[in-house]
Amino acid sequence: MVPSGKRALDTEMSDRPYRRMAVDVGGTFTDVCVLDERTGALTVSKVPSTPDTISGVLAGAREAGVSLAETSLFIHGTTLATNALITRKHPRAGMVTTRGFRDILEIRRGTRDDLWDSYKEIAPPHIRRRDRLVVGERIDAAGEVVEPLDEDDARAVAAVFRKRGIENIAVCFVNSFVNPANEQRMKEILAEELPDARVSTSSDVLPEIFEHERFSTTVANAILAPVVGPYCEQLSRELREGGYGGEMLLMHSGGGVMTPRAATRFAARLAASGIAAGAIATRELARLCGYENAIGLDVGGTSTDVSLVYEGETHTAEEWYVEYGYPIRFPSIEVLTVGAGGGSLAWIDDAGSLRNGPQSAGSQPGPACYQRGGTEPTNSDANLLLGRLGSELIGGAMALDEGLAEEAIRRHIAEPLEMPVLEAARAIVEVANANMADAVRLVTIRRGYDPRDFALVVFGGAGPLHGGAVARDLGIPTVLVPLNPGVTSALGCLMVDVRHDVSQMHFAQVAEAELGEIEAAFAALEEEARELLTLDGVPAADMHFQRQIDMRYVGQWRSLSVAVEPGLGSLAEAEQRFHEKHGQEHNYRRDDAPVEIYRLGITAVGVTPRPEIARHQAAPSRPEPIGTRAVVWDDAGAVETPLYWRPELAAGAVIEGPAVIHQLDSTVLVEPGMEAEVDPWLNLRLTI
Amino acid sequence: MTTNSNTYTLDPVTFEVLKNSFTTIVDQMSEQVIRSCHSFVIWSRDFSCALCDAEGNTIMQGSGDCAAHVGTLHFTAKAVLDYFGEDIHEGDVFVVNDPYLGGTHFNDTRVVRPIFQDGEMIALAQANGHWADVGGALPGSFNIEAHDHMAEGLRIPPVRVWSEGDFQRDVAELIAHNTRTPGDVIGDMLAQAEATRVAEREIGRLTVKYGRETVVTAFAEVQDYVERLARARLAALPDGTWETVDYLDVDPVLGEGLIPIEVKMTIAGDTLHYDLSGSHPQAVHTFHNATFGGTFSGVVVGTKFQMPELPLNSGFYRPITVDYGREGSVVNATWPTPVAGFCVGPFDKLLNAIGELWAQIVPERAMACCFALEYLLVGGRDGRREGSPYFMWYDWMMGGWGARNGHDGHNGSAPPFGVQLGTQPLEGQERLAPVLTTGHELITDSGGPGTSRGGLGCIKGAKIGAAERAVMSYCCDRERSITWGLWGGLPSAPIGVRLRRAGGDQEEFLGALFSNVALEPGDVLERPSNGGGGLGDPLDRDPEQVLEDVVDEYVSVERARRDYGVVVIEIDRDLCACEIDVEATERERRRIRAERAGWLDTDPEAVAARYRAGELDEMDLVRQYGVILDWGSGEVLAKSTGQFREMLRRRALAYWADAGT
Repeated sequence: MVPSGKRALDTEMSDRPYRRMAVDVGGTFTDVCVLDERTGALTVSKVPSTPDTISGVLAGAREAGVSLAETSLFIHGTTLATNALITRKHPRAGMVTTRGFRDILEIRRGTRDDLWDSYKEIAPPHIRRRDRLVVGERIDAAGEVVEPLDEDDARAVAAVFRKRGIENIAVCFVNSFVNPANEQRMKEILAEELPDARVSTSSDVLPEIFEHERFSTTVANAILAPVVGPYCEQLSRELREGGYGGEMLLMHSGGGVMTPRAATRFAARLAASGIAAGAIATRELARLCGYENAIGLDVGGTSTDVSLVYEGETHTAEEWYVEYGYPIRFPSIEVLTVGAGGGSLAWIDDAGSLRNGPQSAGSQPGPACYQRGGTEPTNSDANLLLGRLGSELIGGAMALDEGLAEEAIRRHIAEPLEMPVLEAARAIVEVANANMADAVRLVTIRRGYDPRDFALVVFGGAGPLHGGAVARDLGIPTVLVPLNPGVTSALGCLMVDVRHDVSQMHFAQVAEAELGEIEAAFAALEEEARELLTLDGVPAADMHFQRQIDMRYVGQWRSLSVAVEPGLGSLAEAEQRFHEKHGQEHNYRRDDAPVEIYRLGITAVGVTPRPEIARHQAAPSRPEPIGTRAVVWDDAGAVETPLYWRPELAAGAVIEGPAVIHQLDSTVLVEPGMEAEVDPWLNLRLTI
Repeated sequence: MTTNSNTYTLDPVTFEVLKNSFTTIVDQMSEQVIRSCHSFVIWSRDFSCALCDAEGNTIMQGSGDCAAHVGTLHFTAKAVLDYFGEDIHEGDVFVVNDPYLGGTHFNDTRVVRPIFQDGEMIALAQANGHWADVGGALPGSFNIEAHDHMAEGLRIPPVRVWSEGDFQRDVAELIAHNTRTPGDVIGDMLAQAEATRVAEREIGRLTVKYGRETVVTAFAEVQDYVERLARARLAALPDGTWETVDYLDVDPVLGEGLIPIEVKMTIAGDTLHYDLSGSHPQAVHTFHNATFGGTFSGVVVGTKFQMPELPLNSGFYRPITVDYGREGSVVNATWPTPVAGFCVGPFDKLLNAIGELWAQIVPERAMACCFALEYLLVGGRDGRREGSPYFMWYDWMMGGWGARNGHDGHNGSAPPFGVQLGTQPLEGQERLAPVLTTGHELITDSGGPGTSRGGLGCIKGAKIGAAERAVMSYCCDRERSITWGLWGGLPSAPIGVRLRRAGGDQEEFLGALFSNVALEPGDVLERPSNGGGGLGDPLDRDPEQVLEDVVDEYVSVERARRDYGVVVIEIDRDLCACEIDVEATERERRRIRAERAGWLDTDPEAVAARYRAGELDEMDLVRQYGVILDWGSGEVLAKSTGQFREMLRRRALAYWADAGT
């Protein structure tokens, strides 16, 4: 990483804890990545996730062989919140809303994500109708109190919650983003009547326009608070007891970390914790290697996550969801997930066309070659049959059966299509590669980015099997394969800053906007953000604030964010940048059309000293293969291909394709015509 | 049947890759439209995108498109080709909204770009969006009193707006300035044109990589592929003919009486024929008419709901034939008949009627009648702002979907017209228009009773604020031809706008279709949307499910007893404590079973008298007695009642186990 310089580690600090540990808990595995801050050495380990998450986290830490007392910083990525939303295992929660609007949460925006399948269910709201209670109150669009809070109603609602034993409450009033007075009064009354209740008000959680989006985010927050809060408390306690002297940091959807205190208050920010880490790793690895623009391709067993880094920044989505219809409107690193992974099934549809995914063999039964009873062919089976994947995984811990793979492909693909079985295997892999390339097109080309200007960072267990071919298809010149592709997300957790996003609606046409008002609003937001960072223990010198104005053409419904500096002399430059950005993202601009301001936002960052991954002296070398294997690459048929063992490859090693590089958690393909070089940080760089 | 792969000339990999690429391309077009459009109607997903081949046939349609545009984009592409013939050049872009050429209604404006390769046109890209206003007599271009299309909006036959890359500003502005929102129209035109350029660029990329011949072959084979899938599905079904009828509420000139839309469906081998010739033979004297475009869309959408997993292109249309009946009919309207309400009229009836026919063949996908698209428009001057600028409060509602086999219907969701056509945030509306939303909730009891309950409809109220010269129009249907149940399930409830004047306490019922009602500050209006119809005999619904519905107030205690014969005792509402009185429930269900067939023969006038006396409510009338009133005056509508009762006998009574006993 780029050394921050601010806190260069010197010898005086050598007796202090010096290991930075990231533990990323996924559905199947818990990945651990430890960085020795003195040497820059990375160590990784992987343990199965456990139903009791905390013991899994601690087991992962133990497996890494690092004592908590040596740990300077413990960073945690977790799917805890995501799972609670999906499985609905959370304490019963209640909602108080404006009379007449009890069902905003259930009506949603009314849309459904499947155009034609009327049998596909809509996810029910997380708070049932019976627990959504109403009070008299109303604020209008200008913030005027049309109807003050009916305090008798408010106390009656509190009494009902008390009787039901509901202690987690979302307060969601119409137009509270303009004037939070009624919501705040409701909160006070709940505090008086139910002193132990956890209350999330929509004006605190997300003071933004659009009732459903605000309510939905607030409800997610209200139901996750009692899940996240106790979890953080217990894990922090156990870490402390284990000797960890610092404060645990949790990865949030926005690609930063936050303290348990902030996580409890903004629990819904954890809901995409797991996915963000891969995008961060992409950004940091690309930066390390000198690439400003990078695409992250994380290929797992059932799906592929694609993320984008442009000019050193990840792309942020304003709105996303865990279950369709219930948006969480905290900024979140944008990741496109498609159903194409190592375990995706190849199949032939009713009209005789070869398909790939989105159904997957999952971990049970898994691909046919796993010998766990799977009989349908997957991408892994095809890769095995082609010799691209070796007959064992995880350093021999798992044997793959080529015969079962062949049988599956023969029966389900080759015979119906009347083609030789090897050709069928190639067809399967080619379709999978094309699907992944299409996913990359969706996050690049449709946003006006040319993939040829990007490096492709491939990871996840199956990423390095497909990355080269995807890059070739898209015209991407360079592929970067990190040292430990299977635990790259955990590595991402090591590389983040404390980050908060605060915002405020601000409606004004640029031509009529009052600069003084905008400056004052920014100052107030910055104060709020500074307070959050201070609570997180970030020293003032490490605080950074980036201001953004969201703008759009008058009449438009979506806005674009434009970064601005404090002390604006005029809005002309920001407006100009808006036109340019519109031109880039949407292919046209309207310089004569009026532009309006929609929202002001601040991203507050508490810079965490960047760890520095060990840099090795690169000495050009041609390493010796550990053996050869017959591999099918193209029409030429099977070619004896040299095999390499990645842990043996030193910086500067150059391998010409075709070659297969094995490592504990992945297999890297260097296809014919490509060349791989080990860089000073031990990443493999493939030149396509 | 030939379903083996040998009929393709492309190898399976190239075919699959190109097929998926075409899907990615139309989805990229959609992304471009939604991110940069100006019309909030388009932003709310009333748009669609397609890639068409050089003959105008659709190669691929977007996966999130508005359903009501489906089955019409190829007509538009062909209209452009017919009109301009050889006079089509690289860089040209055409605009067309003509329903008489197979479009839907004037608001749906299509932007079409020919895609050239080596000087030869190989495809057309099309982005179609519902512009919020296309002129005509009334804001929003919905004029129920229009006698001809001139009073509805600007008719745009195929017009060249970019000529070999040059923007024809004069032509564009001629169009824009015949609408009430010229700035938005130009913005939308640009956004749609750029979407078609995305397709041009991507097709260019594919031809470089795979060669023109291969890509053009794939255009054809992707259509063949879908045709093959559709024919295979049809061939696996029994041959036969099935028929049913659904109704529009009324033709006001003809007087009361439901207007039939008849559908006779024949499956023979791998073909599917819809005969609509039994439908009402004239256009109705409202705008609830459809040209062949809107009608074909209803037919395709109704059929597509039965085959949700198939991609959509012209291959899907090939096994389908339609007899539209005589020219000038309600389902085959001709110039200059008004058709703006096609979607609430024939389109909606066709898709529901077709659903009923398919329920007999594929019962595992059965669904009772869904609520219809509706929209209310209040336009005027915004007195809150300097200079009182023009405002439009253009609002459509979510509603209930029909109950399904083994599953309740969806509550408060976007209509089958377009499942992405979501509700607008009231906080946005209140900033833009001086109209305060007084409530937006699900309506207890609005789901049609059945073994599976219909989804709940919604109610929305609005209070007029500092508006000047405000008028209101409303477009819906199913005030009388109420969303019906299936297989013994019962209907939802009537709809229509109710208005309470400022300072007054009398409520005025305005019905489901009216325009130009003047409004004053302080006036309050309220309207419900239909719930979905129920499926199966409501007396067979598990009492525990009814109890849960009562706890959540989806169903009231009172209607649990009347509709389901389930007697629920409230113990403590604060604790959600309710329980079933098992004995009383058995008694009540026995009583209803014994009496209900007779209710349909009760003298309508006697029923209406009890309604006026407050003994019965609208739901009793519709669900038990099948009596349709003028919901404002309380007068019996004899002809409509007769038709509605006949419908109930056919769809409900015939399925009750006690029928005929």
